[in-house]
This record gives sequence, structure tokens and C-alpha cells, in this order.
Amino acid sequence: MDILSSLAIVTLAGLIHASFQLSVSVLTLLSGHTIGAKRSHAKLLRLTSSFIFGTGLMTVLLLSFTSLVLLNIFGNNAPQLIWAMACGLMVCVAVAIWVFYYRHEKGTTLWIPRSMATYLNKRTKLTKLSGEAFGLGLSSVVGEILFIIAPLFISALVLIQLPAVWQLIGIGIYTLVSMLSIITVWVLIGSGHTLARIQQWREANKHFMQFTAGAGLIVLGFFVYVYQVLGSSVGVI
Amino acid sequence: MIQAVDIIKHGGSRPTEKFLRDKLHSSLVAACLSAKAPEGQAEAAADAVCDKVIIWLQQRPEVTSHDIRVVAARHLKSFHPEAAYLYEQHKITI
Repeated sequence: MDILSSLAIVTLAGLIHASFQLSVSVLTLLSGHTIGAKRSHAKLLRLTSSFIFGTGLMTVLLLSFTSLVLLNIFGNNAPQLIWAMACGLMVCVAVAIWVFYYRHEKGTTLWIPRSMATYLNKRTKLTKLSGEAFGLGLSSVVGEILFIIAPLFISALVLIQLPAVWQLIGIGIYTLVSMLSIITVWVLIGSGHTLARIQQWREANKHFMQFTAGAGLIVLGFFVYVYQVLGSSVGVI
Repeated sequence: MIQAVDIIKHGGSRPTEKFLRDKLHSSLVAACLSAKAPEGQAEAAADAVCDKVIIWLQQRPEVTSHDIRVVAARHLKSFHPEAAYLYEQHKITI
């Protein structure tokens, strides 16, 4: 696979990751608690920046770790079976997202373990220091691992084929693109938009976001399957 | 003066608590401030909503915390709709 196609796949996977909403929900709650506790705007920006830095770092760590494991097991070229399994994983996760990403109730409650949701809710309320916000950012990415595993895995498979420098660039692209949604919300909060309007938009468009995430995974899975699995088989024949 | 009212927390999964006006008041003020209401307006709206909730509680010896949230949000809506929305959404964001 050439470098441009690889980076395009990584970018699309990052966009799919960006459409997942746990980190955005936690960021919205964190901002609400901070403003509600009469803390200054500078403090709000410090906490939210630390949170975003935490989500970014955890994304880098997860993608690097997955890539390292795959590189150690398969070297630079993973077998066709693994590519096919990755495509199957993407389709399964896509269907899971369409069926139960959001709970069937008011609000933006997500289908993640309730104990994790309660933990994040409590931690968000107790967060007063930048270090705590940073930890919350790390945890919020881990909380959604069931869904982000699909785009992470396919990105790691693509990245291990690239030269070392392009692997680093690919990790950077994935991380930046995957953070687009929280960076957008952060900018909106920082520029004075009310949390109620942000949350109302999220609630009104949650099914669209759900559909987009699932459809993106199906498209990516289909493309990779045709390009990498079928394409290679035809080439061999 | 309100008689002691038991608040059933989390549908009974946590121990019941006595109703505390101050606790309701601070959560309402926080919701108003989160919606960018000025501090004075937040205090006034919270006071008014607390009074209405207490009137509603007078005939009820036992209610759930969810009931109180729903009733408080309904009254807060007439003072600050965005704050009422945030107050409602607090438990259903994640």
C-alpha cells in the first residue's frame, strides 16, 4: 500500500474515532461543573486544556502500543487473515454502533459500562486541578475502548507497513484528527458559547453522529477489504 | 416549615436521605451559573424554585431524587430555560 493511501486510511479512521462522543460528554460536564463552581475562565481553560492533552496522549499511547504489538508479531506485513479479521471487526463494531451506541432514552447517555459512566461522572465533579483533568482525559479514552478499538486496529495495521518516519507522521495525523470534535467543543466553550446550546446540538444530532460513525466504519472496512485482501489475492493469481 | 421528607436515592440502591433545601439550592445555582446566568439571577431563581419544590413536597413523606430533579427542572424552566435544560441533562450526559 502506498504512503498516500495509507495516510488516507489513517485519516478516515481518525475521523471515525472523532465521531465517538464519550470524551465530548466528559468535557461538557467538566466545563459545566467548573463554571457552576464559580471558577475563573482562565481556570476553565486550564482544566479543559489539560483534559484534551490527556485524551491526546492516551490516543497516542494506545495507537503506538497496538502498532508495536502488531509489529513484533507480524513484522512489516501482517498476513491476509489478519487484514480480513480487521475488516470483520470493523463491520461488527459498525453494527454494534448502529444498534446500541446511544441508550434509548433522553439525553446523550452512551452504551458503556454503567460503573465506568458513574466513575467518570464522579471524577468530573471532583476535578479541581489540571493534573486531575489530565487523568480524566486519559480515562475517558479508555472508557470507550470497545468502540475505538476498530479504527485503532486498522490504523495500526496500516502504519506498520510504512517507513519509521511516516509511522510517526501517521500517529500524529490520527491523534490530531481523532481530537477534532473535542477541540471544536473546547474552542466553542472558550469563546463563550453556552453549554446548553452545545448539549442541545449534541442531543438533537446524536442519531446522525451514530449513523455516521457506523457508516464510516463500513466504508473503511469495505475499502480495506477490497484493496488489501481481494487486491492482493487477484495480484497473486 | 416543611416536615421531614425522605429522599430515595438511585431508585433505592443508595441509603435514603432527609430533604435538604440548601443542597437543592446549590445544585440549582450551579446549573444557572453553568448557563451563564448572573449570580444574583441564579440565587433568585434557585430561591423561587426551592420554595415551589417545598410546597410540592408538603403532601409527600417520601419521594425519589429523580422526582425532585424533574419538578425542580419544570419550575426552573420558567426562570431560565437553558439552566433548566442543563439541570435535566446532568445525569443523562454520559
